[in-house]
Amino acid sequence: MIDFLTGPLESGIDRRALLEVVLLGLLCGPLSFWVRSFRLAYPSESLAHGLLPGLVLASLAGAPLIVGAAGGVAVAAVAVAIASRDRRIGSDTATAVVVSGAFGLGGLLALRPDAPARLEELLFGDPLGVSAADLAAAGALALAGGAALAVLHRPLTAVAFDAGGAGALGLRPGRVRLALLLVLATAVAVAVQGLGSLLVLAVLVAPAMAVGDRVRSPGRAMAAGAAVAVGAGVVGLYSSFHLGGAAGASVALALCAAAAGGAALGRLRRPAAPPPRAA
Amino acid sequence: MSAALAVEGLSAGYGGDPVLTGVSFAAEAGSTVCVLGPNGGGKTTLFRALLGQLPHTEGDIRLQGHPAHVAQAAHARLDFPVSALDVALMGSLAGRWWLPARRSDRERARAAVERVGLAGLEHTPYGALSGGQRQRVLIARALVQDAQVLLLDEPLAGVDPASAETITALFADLRAEGRTLLVSSHDVEGARAFDSVLCLNRGQVAFGPPAEVLDARVLEATYGHELIVIPAGEGGRPVRAVAVQHHEH
Amino acid sequence: MGLAALPDPLYLLELRSTRLAVAELLLLAVAGGVLGAYVVLRRLAFYTHAVGTATFPGVVLAEAASFSPRLAALAVAGAYATGVERAGRSGRDPGGAATGLMLVLALATGTILASDVFQSGAGVDRLLFGSAIALSDADVAVAAAAAVIALASALLLGRAWSAVAFDPEGAPALGVPGRRADLALLLVVGATAVAALPAVGSLLVTSLFVVPAAVARLLTRSVPGLVAASVGVAAAQGLLGLYGALWLDVPPGPAIAVLGAAVYVLTAATTALAPAGSLRGVAA
Repeated sequence: MIDFLTGPLESGIDRRALLEVVLLGLLCGPLSFWVRSFRLAYPSESLAHGLLPGLVLASLAGAPLIVGAAGGVAVAAVAVAIASRDRRIGSDTATAVVVSGAFGLGGLLALRPDAPARLEELLFGDPLGVSAADLAAAGALALAGGAALAVLHRPLTAVAFDAGGAGALGLRPGRVRLALLLVLATAVAVAVQGLGSLLVLAVLVAPAMAVGDRVRSPGRAMAAGAAVAVGAGVVGLYSSFHLGGAAGASVALALCAAAAGGAALGRLRRPAAPPPRAA
Repeated sequence: MSAALAVEGLSAGYGGDPVLTGVSFAAEAGSTVCVLGPNGGGKTTLFRALLGQLPHTEGDIRLQGHPAHVAQAAHARLDFPVSALDVALMGSLAGRWWLPARRSDRERARAAVERVGLAGLEHTPYGALSGGQRQRVLIARALVQDAQVLLLDEPLAGVDPASAETITALFADLRAEGRTLLVSSHDVEGARAFDSVLCLNRGQVAFGPPAEVLDARVLEATYGHELIVIPAGEGGRPVRAVAVQHHEH
Repeated sequence: MGLAALPDPLYLLELRSTRLAVAELLLLAVAGGVLGAYVVLRRLAFYTHAVGTATFPGVVLAEAASFSPRLAALAVAGAYATGVERAGRSGRDPGGAATGLMLVLALATGTILASDVFQSGAGVDRLLFGSAIALSDADVAVAAAAAVIALASALLLGRAWSAVAFDPEGAPALGVPGRRADLALLLVVGATAVAALPAVGSLLVTSLFVVPAAVARLLTRSVPGLVAASVGVAAAQGLLGLYGALWLDVPPGPAIAVLGAAVYVLTAATTALAPAGSLRGVAA
């Protein structure tokens, strides 16, 4: 039994992977509450997919992935913003064009015969490939993101509750939302190393789904989200270690399981219609 | 007493042609103004302009401080995890949103919740309150803002009689404190209880004491076909009017 | 990466593998172009991406079980289409969180299964990005069937689809059964997307089913015009992308996707100055 628990703690690689996953959980678990409150799942997904070329370029150049992720996310955000402005097309289609182009560019750069084949890790995550420097960078960004969430806590609450009325309270809802998007972009850039461009959405969406509507305050929702995210991350890594599946995908599956469990529990407690929406 | 709120030749819009033109009125501190008009007639536009949310095209607005706004309770989210006290506390955000709430802010929020008659319900989730209670919580939030001018958007719409009574009594208190209230409403008869009435229909139709303003001609110019007017009767019974209410879905 | 001299375009027709690729891409241009027009009108771009992605674990499983990957993909696509139609009615996933998570589930499951099925990552790359130069006659036959299905369903249902896209709530008043029309579109798109999987892979279905139609949308003023232009753009994009991929020695699927996005950017930039205007009778 002890071996079961200490196995993953023995090698440096696994210890770093565990630490990475814990860091991710501490940043993205709380953020997940705001992603849900502000309906940011689609934007999160398009940021995560759109940054793929940046990751590939960093990988080809031997640069730290976090640099590629940060650059990629910035370009993706601008591209989606510009494309979505065209009223003839609509943001749904515009985002699909950007993502298709990004996937294509990532695949193009990564799948040439002479290119090193790291595309799997960039797509599905590679917690075991995290270096001490990567961890330090992730830790610093996670701290910055966490600090931003703390400072933005009250405005986010007010705007999520009543965006129309927040203006009269002395807030600028547009700016609050923009700040949240910046934190989101940072979180995506940090988390993509562990979970990959295709799976990172899980850690931004599953924790809030697992926690559901049963919380009494945003603060508690965020704490619960952190617990779910960290727990799922650890469970995922342990199962990957003992059962041999890919580490990033295992963490993603654990997160999905947590979300499904939380949704089912919510259904049991309240079998009636979904929560009332104001007209 | 000087005017707490003075508007001169206001024209406002959302880009393109102004949807509200030629508004001029003034309200003294401690007075109440009822804003009447059909949906789309400019009541919301006027409030937005007074809140500084519209770059108004022309005209002059002079206000004591920044006004507080009480929206219709239906517009806030019912499934967001905040208690009545949390909502009231949001009134203390202005100018210090990046800092946590102070103890004095919490005290003021608690006092405001009590003042609107919801003592004991501070920690109830907002979504679990009745419509009238939710409206009162939003008023408490405006009280915490401690504004001299309050803009209230149909505060009695769809509110149960007990809450309506509390709210109306509160208006009297706020008047006595020297605050100025602008209340938009569809209740033409209820407007007679206010100090002044402002009738809007894409422009200013009339402004003044209710006895002067609320005659058949003004009401028809304001509401057009949306009004049922019962003409003045014998023995000096005044013109009575009922506006047709449209509910937004 | 040295640039070889530009190959003779007719070279595309000399090798069997490239002939098959040309045939496949032309047929997929018909399917993706025709249906893509309605996908863009009805705002189903995300659905199209999702249905392609969702087939990934099904195909991996089928290859492991020596079952027909095409049938497995078709089954998954059909199930997903029905699920989306039902969930859409109840409006229970605002913001797309549940759908996004479902796709993560599909991708994570697929990759974990794949490590048992494929010796190297190449198998997964092929499934995700396609292998247009390694097609079989059966693949081309399926693409032909997809083209026929697309044309037939557009002929029969195109007017209904336009009406629903223009005014979803008002369609029933016109006698158009909105739900059934939607379900039909979702099913047809799902089925024909399966035909595109060998050529462009699970992740790039939108490069043929959405991007050409988006380009065409910027250039046309009527629905028939949109459909025709969409097919034309898709064909040009597919063939030029294939040609460029052979020249630069890069995988064709991603090349087609990149070319499509680039064409869209150019078109959007140039037409923003002289807008084509809204479609007659269909909301922008």
